[in-house]
Amino acid sequence: MSAAAGSFVLLHIGERRFAFPAGLVTELAPAVRLHRFPHTSSHLLGVIMRRGKIVPVYDQRSVFGAKRSSANLFYLLAECNFGAARELFAVPINGESVLVSGELQPSENVGPEYVAGFIAVAGERIDVLDLNALIASTFSQSTDRDLVLAGVRG
Amino acid sequence: MSLANSETAKPRAGRPSEQVILFSVGTHSFAIAAEAVQEIRSTDSLSGTATEIENSNIEKVQHTLKHARHSFYVVNARVHFGLPASRPTLVMILRGIRVAVLVDRIERMAEVSFMHQLPHAFIGRERKWYRALAYMGDRVIPVVHAAGFLDEDEIQYLDSLVAARTPAELEGAVRE
Repeated sequence: MSAAAGSFVLLHIGERRFAFPAGLVTELAPAVRLHRFPHTSSHLLGVIMRRGKIVPVYDQRSVFGAKRSSANLFYLLAECNFGAARELFAVPINGESVLVSGELQPSENVGPEYVAGFIAVAGERIDVLDLNALIASTFSQSTDRDLVLAGVRG
Repeated sequence: MSLANSETAKPRAGRPSEQVILFSVGTHSFAIAAEAVQEIRSTDSLSGTATEIENSNIEKVQHTLKHARHSFYVVNARVHFGLPASRPTLVMILRGIRVAVLVDRIERMAEVSFMHQLPHAFIGRERKWYRALAYMGDRVIPVVHAAGFLDEDEIQYLDSLVAARTPAELEGAVRE
């Protein structure tokens, strides 16, 4: 996934505001039912069914430490890399999403791996999310030794 | 029964279906292939046929069960799946492996015509636990690997414990 200049979707993930390349969005889905089952992948909340496909849902709290709210909940669906596989992945977002135009600019400072750069919107710098980098960094931290009952916690 | 990538998940008429048994542990439902289950018994029937394994470091396995001249390791599904305390009332004796599984209850039999691959985003123990996900009655239900309850190393470890104590215990055990 590579961020490109052009259109971006502004969205809230937890308490953070990000821009995400619009061309990489498969769908912004409404808050459909989240299905949970026992698992030890602590970066996942569960799965949703969307258009006949089972889509894993990211637990944004694992990186952004934010509380999950059902208010104004949507799912950002995008195709992501999981090793050699490429599959749909859902990220819960809260609030309205706005489409803006901007030019991706590199960050001057070394930031988190999941920040691909920033765009300027009305004088404000908005970090551009690199979902594949977020997944890669989250997955490298998520190990099987976690006995977190990821699938059954609230 | 075909196992396809979720990308191509589309129910089709005429697709061979698979009989599964839906069982529950705590508030969670699971499915297991019906052909993987040899017999389902009440836990009441375990008295006299179950033997405690002393000093087992495998928390989910504390007993062996004698059944039809074979010895089975009894896996507590609640512990296996890391779930909160529940009350197992049934034991599923699996076919072809020396494993019996304590579960809370059997929900029903069902036919599944399509199974979804477990998404690659799942990278934990669930990859051993589940062979697929099924969408049934507006629920996503994991379909368990019968062989995923105990791996070969665990069986060898338990064998060594049991054999050290009662060498005759494993006579007649099913060998895979």
